[in-house]
Amino acid sequence: MHRLFVVRKDKSGCFGRHVLSLWAVLCCFGIGASAQSTSPAVNPNAPFSTQATHLLGFPNTKNNCKGILSIQNNELRFQQSGEPVAEVDIASIRHVLLGEESMQVGGVPMKIGKAAAPFGSGRVVSLFAHAKYDTLALEYVDSNGGVHGALFQLKKGQAELVRNQVVARGVYSGSGEGQATKQSTSEVEREDK
Amino acid sequence: MKTSKSNPWIFLVAAAVTIAVALSGRLACQTGAVKPSGESSGSGNQWSVQVERIDPGDLDLAHSFQVAIFENLLEELNKTKRFKYVLREGDGSASAIPDLLILKTTVVKYTPGSETQRAVTTVSGATKLTVRSQLMTGDGKIVLDRTVQGNVRFFGSNLRSTHNLARNIAKVIKESQWRGSEPANAALTGQLKQPTPLSCCLMGAHDEKWITVTEQRLIAQSMAGPSNSHEEDR
Repeated sequence: MHRLFVVRKDKSGCFGRHVLSLWAVLCCFGIGASAQSTSPAVNPNAPFSTQATHLLGFPNTKNNCKGILSIQNNELRFQQSGEPVAEVDIASIRHVLLGEESMQVGGVPMKIGKAAAPFGSGRVVSLFAHAKYDTLALEYVDSNGGVHGALFQLKKGQAELVRNQVVARGVYSGSGEGQATKQSTSEVEREDK
Repeated sequence: MKTSKSNPWIFLVAAAVTIAVALSGRLACQTGAVKPSGESSGSGNQWSVQVERIDPGDLDLAHSFQVAIFENLLEELNKTKRFKYVLREGDGSASAIPDLLILKTTVVKYTPGSETQRAVTTVSGATKLTVRSQLMTGDGKIVLDRTVQGNVRFFGSNLRSTHNLARNIAKVIKESQWRGSEPANAALTGQLKQPTPLSCCLMGAHDEKWITVTEQRLIAQSMAGPSNSHEEDR
């Protein structure tokens, strides 16, 4: 009787140890995951560049053109291939704001292909031929104090890197606190009285 | 006998004279119709406009849309050649310009759409933007108050609605007529051709632009009282 009790006690102790070890392992995983999710420290002096599509607003740059968006010597630059560099002083940037857009991929050739597909099967292709992009909206001022806006489209996750780089150089990241503004499908309305 | 022979000739000459008079009158009407628009554009050129940033109101409008509307609006207003200078908000040179109007744009309604939904269904997923555009003088008197819509219904990304909206706002401002010869007393009368349902359908069928002037408020009159020189006509 007494022995049986001791055996049971041992078993429960063993189970507790297993629970403890499992908890420790989970804690380790959790710490590892949280360490991965925190953004790495940004070196403000290191040059940074990424591919981007200029949608509108940057000086001396065509709309809807692809190029390299880079940060060098406190200048935000956009370089198209074969075109002169367009740049804006980072000190003149007032806000950096992130967004997110879902767009159809493939451009005009894809559109023609979808239109030419028989029995409206191009519509099915449209269901899958879309991708999400980040949008980076900048507000900067010119030498007269006039407000300018510029809009870039980047691959998913890249806009936050640019924002971190610009914020590390002392620019305010906007009212969105760095969170991307997602489009919801619900209708929002404001009535003016 | 002689008179009966000359009767057809008399009728012929009378008809020719009538046609000639009618044609000359018509031509005169045409030239008369062209002249005021030339005059109006001439007086309009003396004004400048300063575009303020887009006010999203209480709506959760993406920042990219606000920036896109602002930039497109500046571009489209420049294209109209209606204003001497088109200035941005905060521009220091605005204080030196005497006849300056301020364009305020407030987002009234926003329906987010989806390009994928449009591509798949054709009939749904439209992105719709409705803004209230107010053109006011430096002392706060409103000379033009319009509600303008910009949509993208079939082709193009969601941001295209901002381009359509800016084009529609510029068109509304361009089509509104100036009243008064002197810039200091001039006012935009806001005589906008109300689109008929048919014209709306045609516009929508052709290039997806819809100008829907849903309201015309006589704020200038109500705010400034009966002695106000600025008036707004339908």
